[in-house]
Amino acid sequence: MPIPGSPILAKTTSSQVVMPFYLYAALSFLAATLLLFGSSGAFTGHYFQPSILAITHVMALGWATMITLGASHQLVPVLIEGKLFSEWLGRLCFILAALGIPLLVYGLHTFHLGWPTLSGGLLVVLAIVVFVVNIALSMWESQRWNIHALFVLTAVLWLLFTVCLGLLLAYNLTHPILGINSLHYLPIHAHTGIIGWFLLMVLGVGSRLIPLFLISKYSNQKLLWVVYWLINAGLIGYMQLFALQASMRMLVLAALPIAAGLGLFVWYCTKAYSERLRRRIDGPMRLSLAAVAMLAIPLLLLLATVLWLALAQGHHTSLVLGYGFSVFFGWLTAIIMGMTFKTLPFIVWNKAYHHRAGKGQTPNPKDLFSYPVFIAMGISYLLGFVLFGIGILGQFILLLQVGSALLIACSALYNFNVVKLITHKAPTA
Amino acid sequence: MMPQTNNEALCALALEGLKDVIDPEIGLNVVDLGLIYELHCNDAEKTVACTMTLTTEFCPMGESMVGGVRESLQGTFPEYLIDVKLSFQPPWNYDRISESGREFLNM
Repeated sequence: MPIPGSPILAKTTSSQVVMPFYLYAALSFLAATLLLFGSSGAFTGHYFQPSILAITHVMALGWATMITLGASHQLVPVLIEGKLFSEWLGRLCFILAALGIPLLVYGLHTFHLGWPTLSGGLLVVLAIVVFVVNIALSMWESQRWNIHALFVLTAVLWLLFTVCLGLLLAYNLTHPILGINSLHYLPIHAHTGIIGWFLLMVLGVGSRLIPLFLISKYSNQKLLWVVYWLINAGLIGYMQLFALQASMRMLVLAALPIAAGLGLFVWYCTKAYSERLRRRIDGPMRLSLAAVAMLAIPLLLLLATVLWLALAQGHHTSLVLGYGFSVFFGWLTAIIMGMTFKTLPFIVWNKAYHHRAGKGQTPNPKDLFSYPVFIAMGISYLLGFVLFGIGILGQFILLLQVGSALLIACSALYNFNVVKLITHKAPTA
Repeated sequence: MMPQTNNEALCALALEGLKDVIDPEIGLNVVDLGLIYELHCNDAEKTVACTMTLTTEFCPMGESMVGGVRESLQGTFPEYLIDVKLSFQPPWNYDRISESGREFLNM
């Protein structure tokens, strides 16, 4: 209820809109690690295989995109200092994506590229259209623009481009319309998704949340503008050079502004960290900051892949697989796991204890999940990630199996805490 | 920074109760966080008027915090009419955190 004579309080998005995304993402992460264990042998071969395509899409769509969509419905109002245009559109986005992703993954896993893949892909495209409309209208109504909101809006437009291109490539596999094999365009599809969608989104939201959670005085909007233009210029440059069929050496040029943008973002995080007021850093925040540092792994693997291509004139499949693995199971998974336990406890706390504030003691949001389980999850994750990564690069089957088993343990522990949070009920007085 | 108050005895009682209203993210109470700007307790008219702020204008926890302050004041003064107003002038900044708040945060 608005307070007469006061500024209007922010209207938070209902937890009923947001939580299904979190739960779906958690189950997708578990499914992806099970698929990883069942297909670990495939990681000694070429990357264009049904099982690897399926795992990549479970991770990219079911896990990373679904949780980002869910968190966006909650965080965009904070970033734009307004409210979400429509919760109904948020629910519609979830339903369309939740139906589309399993169909698409089933189609890719069985290499049934007819109706399952195409209808699944179409549903995902529709879900993203609904999301883009909701976010754009929220920003239009708020009229309070800032660099964080621009990062988010640009990221969702890149996401729309990525899923539309993905659908076109899937269609082209069975009904050739592009005049060239879909495999040729795969790097564009992958990098608009990784850099345009995930990276811009993480930078836009992270640049606001990291100082907020660290209670840091540091703010540098000008630096963020430079990061924004460097990343977008690099991505557009990459697409231009790709379209012109430029040599590998030329394509490296496009990576330079992106690497420079990332370097500046790391500098931004370092400054926010050094000027923080909160000295004690909790586990979820440590994992999120570690994820920023983990960006170096895919960058190094990308550099190694490009060097190999330039010098040996052929793909080094282990390096390409390692690069993809370090993006989806490395950097993205680490930041998602860290941020889940920084955002979800507050969403649950707000739902369960909203009406009890000021009436007596309420638990702290961080006490709503099990911290020992979180630590066990973090340890099994780091071990699993390192072992599986070495397994890919060295083509060691045993390490691939042990690494993926540890990642199953990690995803099971993650699910335990997410379910514990989502099912939390305030004790009756 | 301590809030502006009038009736010292009553306001001290009110502030003591408000120390139970915690910002869930920071873990610090609204008084030591410096979120309470003004507190006026009028014993004759049986009214308590409070002006408070939030760490950020669109704080997702805002509704809970303002509701918490109102509930706390009502709990301390059950017979009084409670009026809680929100203000972002001046905007909150870290310098408003009290000494004990700084100790709590290890600042």
